[in-house]
Amino acid sequence: MHKPLLSMMIVTAALTAAPTLWAAGAADAIHAMEPSVRMAPPGQDQTGAYVTLHNSDKRDHALVKAASPAARATELHTVVDEGGMKKMRPVPKIDIAAGGQTRLQPGGPHIMLIGLTQPLREGASVPITLTFEDGSSKKISAPVRAITAPGAMSHGH
Amino acid sequence: MGRLLPLAAAVLAAVVLGMLAAHLAGPRPDEPALPRGGDFTLTAADGPVALERLRGRVVLLYFGYGSCPDVCPTSLALTTAALKALEPAELERVQVLFISVDPGRDTPETLKQYAGYFHPNIAGVTGSPETIATVAARYGASYRMTPVDSAAGYVVDHSSVTSVIAPDGRLVEQLPHGTTPPEIVAAIRRWLPR
Repeated sequence: MHKPLLSMMIVTAALTAAPTLWAAGAADAIHAMEPSVRMAPPGQDQTGAYVTLHNSDKRDHALVKAASPAARATELHTVVDEGGMKKMRPVPKIDIAAGGQTRLQPGGPHIMLIGLTQPLREGASVPITLTFEDGSSKKISAPVRAITAPGAMSHGH
Repeated sequence: MGRLLPLAAAVLAAVVLGMLAAHLAGPRPDEPALPRGGDFTLTAADGPVALERLRGRVVLLYFGYGSCPDVCPTSLALTTAALKALEPAELERVQVLFISVDPGRDTPETLKQYAGYFHPNIAGVTGSPETIATVAARYGASYRMTPVDSAAGYVVDHSSVTSVIAPDGRLVEQLPHGTTPPEIVAAIRRWLPR
């Protein structure tokens, strides 16, 4: 049958299993808080995923990859402001300093889901696998939230 | 002569009040000079949208693109929160135009869905690349298609400013990216006729 698919699955399984064999990888030191995926407006097939990554380790770490079955491609991006121009760019990694935290949020570093495989439903959960610089990885489940402006989200808390 | 004095005083008072009103209603002195703005006609799914036909309303203009996943939704969410804070009678006299600078990917139909998702008073419009360039230049909006190493193909770098057009068609304010809903509401109310 589909040999390439099968071998891909084996590789994927091996990659997913590998981190659990290593002790104290970045994935163990990094805590993912308040994950969310922004609802894509109807007719649009890409959106952002956000999470706060806290690094409890004494060493710096970095998020180097994100993957999700919800999209054709999952990438790390950031938005920079140059002279009033908003520029979104792919980035190879997102740093998380030792003892610090990095917020993936609108207008800053974030995960891009490009080519959604099916329309998102508000409240549904999107699985995302985060891979760190040492190859360790962590699976998170990000609920789909209505589009709100940053700041407006904290309303009522 | 004695009769003219009260008249002169009244005229003087009127002039002073007029200047004061103009000062209060006009752009604040710390604001940079505004682009010249002006009328335009763009295309929505339901037909042409001419700014000239929107006299009597406060019109907010935002230049962006539909597949913009980060910056545009944030701006439109802020504007939507402002629209929701308006009284129904005020809302009837407010129109938001989301102008797509990416006619290669956005059609009037997809823009209708996109804009309508945020608020019924937001219309998605677009036009030929030449028309969009002309309107953007008049309103001081800049944008550039930029190829990136991404499955997204290309991104559109763009300014993120909301232009406020008074009911008489004049461009009167430009709100920077991240302007809060209460500030947007205040800007709309400054120009809504009483």
